[in-house]
Amino acid sequence: MATCNHRWEMIDVLYGYLVVEGCPRCGGRTSFFSTEAVAPIDEYREGDHFWIYLGSSQAVKFNLKCAKCNKEVRLDDLMGLMMSTCDRPQCEVANIAKSAGKGTSVYVALCADSTHSSGKCISEKGIDALNQYFNQNIKTPGKKILVVPCSKCCDIDVCEGIVITDVGLTDIY
Amino acid sequence: MKISELVKKTGLKAINKSEDKTIEGVYISDMASDIITNAKANMLLITLQTHKTLIAAANLIDVAAIVFVKGKKPGNDVIDLATKVGIALYYTEDDTWTLASKLTRLGIQ
Repeated sequence: MATCNHRWEMIDVLYGYLVVEGCPRCGGRTSFFSTEAVAPIDEYREGDHFWIYLGSSQAVKFNLKCAKCNKEVRLDDLMGLMMSTCDRPQCEVANIAKSAGKGTSVYVALCADSTHSSGKCISEKGIDALNQYFNQNIKTPGKKILVVPCSKCCDIDVCEGIVITDVGLTDIY
Repeated sequence: MKISELVKKTGLKAINKSEDKTIEGVYISDMASDIITNAKANMLLITLQTHKTLIAAANLIDVAAIVFVKGKKPGNDVIDLATKVGIALYYTEDDTWTLASKLTRLGIQ
């Protein structure tokens, strides 16, 4: 069976808010995407967690579809993308960036649960599709985008990077 | 049109040194979420925003160059990041409309 050399397009593009909640009991963080006009601010109990609102920012979600074979890859588990600037020796993402060399920019695909307590992160097919999508459109010779799941971060709280959301854009330099 | 030619014809002022790429279009936006869904590779991004987030978004899409309008200039950390990933930065005293009008008259769309 011939395999398709996918040509991905963004579909189901949704603009909304990436809302981050934290549990003061365990220190965990979770996030979700809201399309409401105003980002919801809630406090609630969920099992052993007591989730409180930490912040929100305007963001975008999307899925990918191949224009050639119509295969769709849903990215429901993707909450955002972070350009990695981490150089901590103990961070796998930093080491991946170092190995990848000049010309390659590493972006971390962020999932909803920073603790990864469920053992899950962004799906492998999601990561593959994101890598194919962003690299298929690059025109600069020698440039490459490498998307990795956030489970590879040493610690999402300290892993340095620039999260692609619209927050803090009015900071004055 | 090459960036160098565009600079001569519009009076853009260089902020960093970068490769002289060919511009294949223009995108105007101040939001990272909009840039990653709508901008294309080798476009000239026109913006008011000087935040580092825009460099992260522009790099993901392979934007060729960024022009900051109304005389705005980014901080050194933003300039360093853009230089590192090969994005040319310029600024102009023009507002967005005036610059866009100039580019349209030059045949860039």
